[in-house]
Amino acid sequence: MTQRSEDGADNTDGADPRQKMPPEIKRYYEVYIRASSKGRPFSIREVKASYIGQLVRISGIITRCSDVKPLMQVAVYTCEECGFEIYQEVTARVFMPLFECPSQRCKINKTKGNLILQLRASKFLKFQEAKIQELAEHVPKGHIPRTMTVHLRGELTRKVAPGDVVEFSGIFLPIPYTGFRALRAGLVADTYLEAMSVTHFKKKYEEYELRGDEEEHISRLAEDGDIYNKLARSLAPEIYGHEDIKKALLLLLVGAPHRKLKDGMKIRGDLHICLMGDPGVAKSQLLKHIINVAPRGVYTTGRGSSGVGLTAAVQRDNVTNEMVLEGGALVLADMGICAIDEFDKMDESDRTAIHEVMEQQTVSIAKAGITTSLNARTAVLSAANPAWGRYDLRRTPAENINLPPALLSRFDLLWLILDRADMDSDLEMARHVVYVHQNKESPALGFTPLEPAILRAYISAARRLSPCVPRELEEYIAAAYSNIRQEEAKSNTPHSYTTVRTLLSILRISAALARLRFSETVAQSDVDEALRLMQMSKFSLYSDDRQRSGLDAISDIYSILRDEAARSNKLDVSYAHALNWISRKGYSEAQLKECLEEYAALNVWQIHPHTFDIRFIDA
Amino acid sequence: MIWRENLLLHIKLAATASASLNSQSERKERESEMVGPKYDCLANPLGAVRLTFEKAIASGADPASFDGKDWGAVDLFRQFLFEDGALSHVPILNPTTIKWVQPNTLVRFRGMIQDMLGNEFYAGAYKDGSVWRTNKFMDVCQYPMGSSPDMRIWERRLLYCVPVPGQNSWTESLSEVAMNKTSQQREKRQRMEDDASNHMDLVLVDEFESSPSVKKMRENGHASPSSQSKDSVIEGTSNTNFVTNAERNSLPCLVKIYDCPESELKLNEVFEFVGVLTLDSDVMADKNDQDESSYGFIEDELVHLPPEKVPRLHCLIHRKLDVNDFLHSSPMMEPKPQLVKETRESLLRHLTSILGNDGIAAHLMLLHLLSRVHARIDNVAVGKLSLNLTCLSKESVSVFGNQIRLSVQNLLPFTQCIPLTVNYLNTASLAPKKDYQTNRLIPGVLQLADGSHLIIDETQLETGTLNSTGVENARLLKNLMEFQKVEYNFEYYKMEMIADVQMLILSEGKSNIVPADLVIPFQPSSAASFEVVPAETLEAWRWYLASVRSLPHSIESDMQKVVESDLVAARQADRSLGGQDLSRLLTMGRLMSASFGETSLSLEHWQMVKELERLRRERLK
Repeated sequence: MTQRSEDGADNTDGADPRQKMPPEIKRYYEVYIRASSKGRPFSIREVKASYIGQLVRISGIITRCSDVKPLMQVAVYTCEECGFEIYQEVTARVFMPLFECPSQRCKINKTKGNLILQLRASKFLKFQEAKIQELAEHVPKGHIPRTMTVHLRGELTRKVAPGDVVEFSGIFLPIPYTGFRALRAGLVADTYLEAMSVTHFKKKYEEYELRGDEEEHISRLAEDGDIYNKLARSLAPEIYGHEDIKKALLLLLVGAPHRKLKDGMKIRGDLHICLMGDPGVAKSQLLKHIINVAPRGVYTTGRGSSGVGLTAAVQRDNVTNEMVLEGGALVLADMGICAIDEFDKMDESDRTAIHEVMEQQTVSIAKAGITTSLNARTAVLSAANPAWGRYDLRRTPAENINLPPALLSRFDLLWLILDRADMDSDLEMARHVVYVHQNKESPALGFTPLEPAILRAYISAARRLSPCVPRELEEYIAAAYSNIRQEEAKSNTPHSYTTVRTLLSILRISAALARLRFSETVAQSDVDEALRLMQMSKFSLYSDDRQRSGLDAISDIYSILRDEAARSNKLDVSYAHALNWISRKGYSEAQLKECLEEYAALNVWQIHPHTFDIRFIDA
Repeated sequence: MIWRENLLLHIKLAATASASLNSQSERKERESEMVGPKYDCLANPLGAVRLTFEKAIASGADPASFDGKDWGAVDLFRQFLFEDGALSHVPILNPTTIKWVQPNTLVRFRGMIQDMLGNEFYAGAYKDGSVWRTNKFMDVCQYPMGSSPDMRIWERRLLYCVPVPGQNSWTESLSEVAMNKTSQQREKRQRMEDDASNHMDLVLVDEFESSPSVKKMRENGHASPSSQSKDSVIEGTSNTNFVTNAERNSLPCLVKIYDCPESELKLNEVFEFVGVLTLDSDVMADKNDQDESSYGFIEDELVHLPPEKVPRLHCLIHRKLDVNDFLHSSPMMEPKPQLVKETRESLLRHLTSILGNDGIAAHLMLLHLLSRVHARIDNVAVGKLSLNLTCLSKESVSVFGNQIRLSVQNLLPFTQCIPLTVNYLNTASLAPKKDYQTNRLIPGVLQLADGSHLIIDETQLETGTLNSTGVENARLLKNLMEFQKVEYNFEYYKMEMIADVQMLILSEGKSNIVPADLVIPFQPSSAASFEVVPAETLEAWRWYLASVRSLPHSIESDMQKVVESDLVAARQADRSLGGQDLSRLLTMGRLMSASFGETSLSLEHWQMVKELERLRRERLK
């Protein structure tokens, strides 16, 4: 320090500015300018020449990262002769070191003092380079994703890793060529982004921020009574039909709140759904679409994932030779949705691990000295083919499904999508094909599907609620559950194992339905719908059985309605309720109408001419 | 220290070079005022560009208004090439012509866009003293550029183009002709206008020679040539990754595109680019500089594309090429109904004889050759019709397979053949892959131009185990067949690129790796007869295939009813028919009526399709 003050005295007689201590060396803070977060970030393609020198916000995926290296900001030398400290500010990537002392004393003495670089006194900055590439969805059809170089300094280093989807804000700058290349047509071909801030993307639902107009849109949607159907239809609108399946998938996106009991036990809120069916019934498209809608989703196939597989693996790092824990698809989809295609073709090791994931929602690892358990709070949506490629109607469902019951019971809903056909659907298909060939576009849907962004916003808003079951409904649910149990006990070939898991499933689906209505309490209609969905999913599997049972449909419907009316001790049954009950048993609306007319003629009940509500005539 | 000396040297060099250039160009301009034709678009396109720029500036235009726009240079060339018919005089760039084509002249290049290297920013216009100058359409600055504040930065796009994969030799003969013509023209012209053009050539030569690296080489004597040769050796070894064997015989080209909407040029499209050829030779000499900054990523990907192997083309005009553009006699024939029918008959006869008198297979083959993707609706490529000829053993494929391949090669411009073996599946790289080290897209076998024909010979396939690459490759082939899409591997994500490839599979049994739309057991009744087809007939067939394919198509409403009821009936009869099969029948109907040169489906043609389908199904039993 003494020397430095002496230095100051020298400066008074107009010495070299290089002897003055530059302000950078004393600066212990970094200044960043954040771009306004309003509006959409640019894709790399949109950053044109006119943006050079401006603050821009871009989004993309990191493809390469350099090591963090020191970048000299101020070089400090000492002179062998005069002992002065000489400062040199470095502003470019390349600089010319000083060799001769420029100080007054050396100049006067003509000693040409030798300068020695003082690394400990010099100031270095952390510096990292990264390459960012356009996201697949921003690349126009028939183009290759663009890349851009990003410079990260100081505290911004080590914030990104290859594969991260990030948003940068920074200054778009050209790098003037140095040396020989400067002659090339004055090219400023290389440009980079001087990063000012980094934000990681693909937020979880919980972090999803609603924009002003979205909030308004959602509240308008919520007032609409038909929101449940509307949302469900907007999932994969190009896939025709399958309304119940889409409803189930919507509920999977919404999910139920996680419950943590006082003793520390956790009850999962995520719904698991398995789609099983013939090849070519658009299972994979449904899966991919759901992943698109979910803010955090991983799509994988039972076989397709890398060495890490679905769960997690301990691997040896090539560079450091250390054992590292690498998460598989299920771990990566934590707090999101994991879609597993070709579920039946999964590796045996993954299949055992998936049991744990689907109920406990963790992945435990005890390999190579690493014992840990990773969170995998994910909703599993899987698609599988029947055991013999196509669904064989002559065999039992259990034979066709080819998955162990322990795994199957973990799915809340299991759908079978069969490629059945009748005259109407054939004509529908023929019309569709001819239309497509004739008009080069698909026929109009008859409704305007909601945008995926709106869907996402609505779902994330719905996920904030955690509805609870009111006391008066407990009885109803318990009765419904014991009913199912009893029915199963009665039938000689039980196709399903109704366990406590089923009861939890009912609660989960009802809670998800309540969330969709933005309600804090579960209503009876939610439970009814949940039961109906479960029943429908079962009937998709076992629909042939009911034909085999001796009772004809009409009298069966009558007995169902009478039982229900007796149970609730009422003489009035609304049409909507009746429809719900009978469809739970797998009957169609046409059959219900037929039954209503037939029994009305027998004066068993009266039918309201407009609403079709039923009133039993007390005998 | 070395670099500093170098820099000094360069600056000195540049100063002298530009000084000489200045005087030359001034001289030329003076001259141009006197002589009638001001410039020669063919031999000195840059002169024309410069003059139009100066004219535009002189008429009071602000250079800022030229951002992303043209000031009339392109219009001039468009008029010169298309209205004055000079296009055929422009030499086509290929491995033979590259040897004698002069840099900074007008050339054209036909090829497929294989990769897009992104944008390049350059100082497009700048003020040199009080004069505005432009750098558009050139690599090397012609005048020394001070750091003047009046500088407009413009951008251009770099496209890496390669000759179309699987391009057949008959498409090239045209260019050969054109080339000879131009070289003759050139000689003639040189003889005629002795003084002026001589002068021009001299200017050109000087311009090239005064480019810094040449000078540098000369002045540094023996030192730098040796370093250069060493560099090129390194180049040769390190670049083997992406300069594949196929690329070595053919000539890729780096095309720089100015001011045109991005949507105009897409990956895998076939274009003809007309523009200024430059041999931007100082990239090589840059190697020393490169080493200094090589610790970062900011590396010019161009370093991996040495100009000796990859010439640069500053594109003035581009146009999309259709199959018709590869035909020799395309414009003269009108699609007359009679002519179309006759050509159809003779082509069908030819196909029948090649397929050993198997009429059904020949009919299906004709429909297959006419197929193309017309539209994409909900993941379905409408209009594709892949064909699987089964019952071909290893022996018969050597006879018929070769015949089929040869005739397809003669009929279609771009054809490829994949011999499908376990080893091939396990080792080949079918999908293009992005290499982040070099920032290049490494081409795969399935990166094909639209309208390519692909024969997959499955007869060689034997039992074996597929590794993960093999499984992936099989999946890619299947996806291409079903959806006409190829997944390009960008490591962090995959991107589906649409394709339009006609696929023909030769196999013993029904192919399961690549399930085709149409499966037909091949039943030849005689050996394939080899006939020599006269060139005119071949030409007529090519024309027929190319023009009939692009006919529009519609179905009248009465016909729609008939078709609908037929489809429902077919599905009632056979439950296994899916939407795809129905769609295929309609495609066949379309192709059938197109093969007769008709634009709407008639009952007769629909009956023919149904009959063909019936015969085919009978054979399958």
